[in-house]
Amino acid sequence: MKIIACYSNKGGVGKTATSVNLAYAYAMAGQTVLLCDLDAQGAAGFYFRVKPSKKLTDARFFEDVERFTASIRASDFEGLDVLPANMTFRDFDVFLSRMRNKRSRLKKALVSAGSDYDVIILDCPPNFSTLSENIFKAADQIVVPVIPTTLSERTFDQLVSFFDTKKLPKRKLKAFFSMVQRRKTLHLETMDEMQKLYRKRFLHSSIPFAADVERMGQNRAPVSVFAPRSAASAAYQALYDEIENGVVSSQ
Amino acid sequence: MALVECFFVIPGAFDEAWFSGGLKGLDPRFEDAKPAQGFEILDCHDQSLRASGKVLIESGGTLRLLHAGEPVTQRCKGKGKFAQDLPKGPVRDGLAGFPKLRALMSMGAGQLENRSFAILDDLQKTQVRGSMMTLSSDYGQVSLVAVQPMRGYDRSFQAVCGKFDEMAAGATGTEPLFQALFPNLVVYKAKPQISIGTQEPSIEVATDIIRTYLAVARQNEAGVLADIDTEFLHDYRVSLRRVRSVISLFKGVFSPDQTTALKREFSDLMAPTGRVRDLDVYLLEKDDYFDLIPPNLHEGAKAMFAQFEKERAQALSSLSRRFRTASYDQQMNDLAALFSDHGNLQPGENADRAAYEYACALIWKRYRKVCKLARRITPDTPDDDVHELRIDCKKLRYLMEFFAPLFNAKAFKTIIKPLKKLQDNLGLFNDFSVQQEALLRFVAQQSNNQGRANAQIAMSVGGLIAVLNQRQRTERDRVVANFQHFDSPEIRHLFRSLFHKKEG
Ligand SMILES: Nc1ncnc2c1ncn2[C@@H]1O[C@H](COP(=O)(O)OP(=O)(O)O)[C@@H](O)[C@H]1O
Ligand SMILES: [Mg+2]
Repeated sequence: MKIIACYSNKGGVGKTATSVNLAYAYAMAGQTVLLCDLDAQGAAGFYFRVKPSKKLTDARFFEDVERFTASIRASDFEGLDVLPANMTFRDFDVFLSRMRNKRSRLKKALVSAGSDYDVIILDCPPNFSTLSENIFKAADQIVVPVIPTTLSERTFDQLVSFFDTKKLPKRKLKAFFSMVQRRKTLHLETMDEMQKLYRKRFLHSSIPFAADVERMGQNRAPVSVFAPRSAASAAYQALYDEIENGVVSSQ
Repeated sequence: MALVECFFVIPGAFDEAWFSGGLKGLDPRFEDAKPAQGFEILDCHDQSLRASGKVLIESGGTLRLLHAGEPVTQRCKGKGKFAQDLPKGPVRDGLAGFPKLRALMSMGAGQLENRSFAILDDLQKTQVRGSMMTLSSDYGQVSLVAVQPMRGYDRSFQAVCGKFDEMAAGATGTEPLFQALFPNLVVYKAKPQISIGTQEPSIEVATDIIRTYLAVARQNEAGVLADIDTEFLHDYRVSLRRVRSVISLFKGVFSPDQTTALKREFSDLMAPTGRVRDLDVYLLEKDDYFDLIPPNLHEGAKAMFAQFEKERAQALSSLSRRFRTASYDQQMNDLAALFSDHGNLQPGENADRAAYEYACALIWKRYRKVCKLARRITPDTPDDDVHELRIDCKKLRYLMEFFAPLFNAKAFKTIIKPLKKLQDNLGLFNDFSVQQEALLRFVAQQSNNQGRANAQIAMSVGGLIAVLNQRQRTERDRVVANFQHFDSPEIRHLFRSLFHKKEG
């Protein structure tokens, strides 16, 4: 089992769009995926037409495997389930680290409840908190969308220094450029600079700014479902290939 | 608790509007049906699968086996094949226990349509999925529905299942499918139940049994002609043999003249079937024969079986010709008419004896005879006496089966068990001796005027005879022990109390 956290300490950078499309790409590749909507706004669930759960705001929620598994919803896509938002995700990090331990009681309970996923993708809320810190520890990879602007550069700097001060393993950080507009000189320059500055932190794939991604809101589905031949669909597929297989497609 | 896939059988035309109307807040979407395909329901002649609650559907080169609604599929054809000869797969596994000697044949045909459906909520999110297979015949329609739960949508799943359940209106298992599609399909029974009254005149009992088995025999003719499997001819012969044994064992029920005439008529009816049956038996044992002799004798055995196969084809085609003649059909119709009413028959001196009293007398007498013969058997008794014992056991068994409805079923079961064991033993003893004789005859046939036979064939046959003789001896040695089982104080007591009360 592998845990991928989609994180940025800034809102509106494309975390949710990335989580949704990555989760879909993993499921299409034949893996079983649980997409956890950790953001109270519940946008990830929205894209899969899964209604946020109302009742499950119990603080002790993650101590109880049964309640956890009962709140999972199947998406319309084979192998892809959603854990809806609106829950108190306190202790979720502890839950996650127990999940990875093959011999833990939790792991065994999840296996027998049919909740043993190949991949868990976390759509995280944008702030530094103890939850984020612990999720950084639990995750195998932290995928960070970065819009190539001066402001985003500053936020990414903050994230890297946070890792430094907390002595967190920086190799987990997988940044990529999000909402890229190649017509904009500023975008191209910023990308150039940041790639030099953080050579090891950045993936080669990037996601262009595309109207098709915005249209996910009307279609309430991953891009590849309603625009399978779009540039955005290809870009998310390439991002998946690089994260999962380290394959860099020539684009 | 995780919900599992549910299955429903919905007889009649599927009312989509009614179904959709009954689901509050949910919106069912039925996909357009895929192009219709022909289908056939496969089973064997006595509908073993149907009796075990299963349905086997062949369509477009795929077999689909339904058991308790749950389908398994395998890509292969099945019609005309034996279950154990199908390629390995889930359908073959599901057919374990299917009669080994019975071939799969078509029980009925029609058209089949598959389509899937999704049940959506107000956000157009799928909450339940499923698929529906609609089968139609000239007589009616039935839809087989499979409903899959989706994680986290238990309530909708239960609502949808509830709706289908209402539409199924209590129809479960596979019987409604047969009722809807093939309501006129006759269930073949090799041994139908025949009710007998204790005071019923024996001539009526005899007539009922004969009429029933004449009909059973006729139900096998088509299968013999189509050469579907060997059991058609076997059942045909067994039915006629039952008729013959009623005529000979129910002494004095019909007039002496009619008894003689009927005996001859039924012997004549059976005579042309004997050769095909013998050859069927040899061919069924082919693999066992090869196992009896070492590989260096296989060449001759191969030649022998090739000869048997040729001969069987000839014998069957002449039997088939006979079955197709108008005179045969006329003869069978005449017999059916004759036995349609006991008033058509000439009564003998025992015609009016009450069934129960008559049965007791016949069975008691035959039982005494079996015991007398069996108790005399020692290692030195000639084989002919053992053969005689076999025939009397068979007669006793027939009598007990004919009159079984008059007696306590549990007591009969207790008696039949050791009797059957003894009979199996005697049957094998007889088979081995008949086979040796047949092999000797075969070599004689294959020999030229100087009595010289093909060396390979002769060697194989010699080898076989040696083994068969050995086996016959072994069976012979078991007879005494098996009879002693049958001759236990408990069984003796049962016989006396069931059939010989007056003096008991
Ligand atoms: N590559 C893109 N091109 C165009 N619009 C995008 C792209 N990625 C995200 N968006 C849009 O930007 C907004 C914020 O994206 P979202 O994924 O919700 O960000 P976050 O989860 O980081 O807050 C949404 O309206 C979304 O449709
Ligand atoms: Mg978001």
